[in-house]
Amino acid sequence: MNRYEKAAAVGVALMLLAAGAIFLYAPDDALQGPVQRIFYLHVSSAIAAYGCFAVVLVGGIVYLRNESVIADRFARSGALIGLLFTTVTLVMGMLWAKPIWNTFWTWDARLTSTLVLWIIYAGYLLVRRLAEPGRQGARLAAVVGIFGFIDVPVVHFSVTWWRTQHPGPIVVNNALPPEMLATFLFTLVCTLVFAAVLIAIRYRIEALLDAKLRIAEPIQVVPAQRPEAVR
Amino acid sequence: MSVIIGDGLAHRFGAEMALEGVDLVLDSGEHIAVLGDNGAGKTTLLRILATALRPTAGRLSIAGLDAVRERRRLRHYLGYVAHAPGLYPALSAAENLQFFSDLQDVDRRRVDEALDVVGLTSVAHRRADQLSRGMQQRLAIGRAILHEPRLLILDEPDASLGPDAAELLTRVISDKTVVLATHDHALANKLCQRSLVLRHGRSVGTATRLRVVR
Amino acid sequence: MNPFRVALAVARKDLRSEWRTRELVPALAQFIILALLIGNFGFQIDSRSAPSIAPGILWLALVFAGLVAFGRTFAAEREQASLEAMLMTPASPVAIFAGKALAASALLVICEAVMLPALSIFFGTPFSADVIAAVLLATVGMAALGCLFAAIVARIRARELLLPLLTLPLWIPFVIAGGVAVQSAMGLPGNYQQAIGLLIDFDILFVVLTSLAARFVLDE
Repeated sequence: MNRYEKAAAVGVALMLLAAGAIFLYAPDDALQGPVQRIFYLHVSSAIAAYGCFAVVLVGGIVYLRNESVIADRFARSGALIGLLFTTVTLVMGMLWAKPIWNTFWTWDARLTSTLVLWIIYAGYLLVRRLAEPGRQGARLAAVVGIFGFIDVPVVHFSVTWWRTQHPGPIVVNNALPPEMLATFLFTLVCTLVFAAVLIAIRYRIEALLDAKLRIAEPIQVVPAQRPEAVR
Repeated sequence: MSVIIGDGLAHRFGAEMALEGVDLVLDSGEHIAVLGDNGAGKTTLLRILATALRPTAGRLSIAGLDAVRERRRLRHYLGYVAHAPGLYPALSAAENLQFFSDLQDVDRRRVDEALDVVGLTSVAHRRADQLSRGMQQRLAIGRAILHEPRLLILDEPDASLGPDAAELLTRVISDKTVVLATHDHALANKLCQRSLVLRHGRSVGTATRLRVVR
Repeated sequence: MNPFRVALAVARKDLRSEWRTRELVPALAQFIILALLIGNFGFQIDSRSAPSIAPGILWLALVFAGLVAFGRTFAAEREQASLEAMLMTPASPVAIFAGKALAASALLVICEAVMLPALSIFFGTPFSADVIAAVLLATVGMAALGCLFAAIVARIRARELLLPLLTLPLWIPFVIAGGVAVQSAMGLPGNYQQAIGLLIDFDILFVVLTSLAARFVLDE
């Protein structure tokens, strides 16, 4: 086993442990019953998705500053994995909403901005696929990634201003029983580690793709030896 | 004095090498022809020399400046006639040049002078899309010399100019340092002291007043 | 050269080209009228429901007309290879970008001058200064974002496909605030002052951000 396979094994094992905690350790919710167990992975993958898109943001900014291929590869990996976790968040959220709110979808701030998030980073990946690989594609995608990250809180704020009916975060105000909190924090840590493992593996794939396409490291251009003054 | 010093210039589009390691030194006032078949890398090399395209490897200095990092400072120094004329079809010949004279920040009187040099004074008020292909090419040349650049980079300007191409180009390039891409070996010999022959993105020879043997 | 003069020169050039060819504005105006027509058949509109439906049709028509307008501004430059010629001059890329955005938003304002009266003729909604102000304020930020993404997709294959996918999510805040502003101006409940304040905030935010980003998009 190489180190990527080892990391993948650890990641999957952690997720299975988290599943064990969710289904065996955590108590049933008094009001919602077993369906509330969706909460643990739903919120954890939402946080993991934001983490991934933060990687895209930072990668994009670093790339625009110094054209580091490494930063760009992290951005590419972060976008793909982030999109994966956003999809998980959305699907699980809809499954949870159906029995509790009696509808799959409602246009509140969190749902709307998560959907916008999904659309933006799906667009980001399309830009990466359609743009010329290398410097140009990386710069354009970096701008898309940065604007996407800024847009999400703006959309969230606008929809909140417009109307909202989503429950607020219940972790902060200590409303969660200790077993549930422990399960949630454990699931969160496992999910974040899993996301990091996925990004690392995707980074490796991107590096191999770059080698295949022979994306060059940024060039070094030095001034000439015999200068002539510009008019 | 060397105006252009290019060392190992290369460009890659995806996995495809358009240019692999071309060296080029050009002295002030010198005229060099870049010869080669279609797809040999002429346009890529010229775009790099005009600072319109970044080399993916290599070093390039123009007029003692780093042509990648300080290329904005070279805008006054070089003029570039690209493969496509790049004109605004709905504007007249004069309006096209007036617009670019505004962007170049040169006196509008230069517009009339440039039109005169390329022989378009009589059609100055005709729309660009009603000019013949050759006249459009002349207009593109007129635009490139608006700001009186010392270095002129011409990508196959003779392609559509017709029989008096040599006479027009001689007039335009007389006092400048010139890189000229062309298919026409006779024209290259007439206008340029030296030639650089490209094949598959590589330089396969430079010569002085060469008789190119293929 | 003074960047304001560059921006004005670029905008004047674009508007003069449009005036000579009259390609974009008639097409967009027809497009908008057709959108109103489709809206009429798609909804059951009567004098009572008009104020709640007309604003939606207004924003749909405006958003899609805007996509076409902004897409054209850079696509035409790319087809004619004139964008590179502009960027080869000493003029600042940000000023060139501002000029393109200025011209495109002027074209969109002309289309709005067709749309707003048509809306009020067809659906009987009020045609007031409040509605006009909301639409114009939204146009500012939408134009900045639309032009930025039009410049991005101009360098990419399948640009017609990609432009809406990238631009629409970023226009959502403008549609939300603009939607509330127009609805309240047409007599539905909603805080008009607050919506206009939001539109101004979004305008400032995205105009600043796009002018910071324009350099990276247009350079080379």
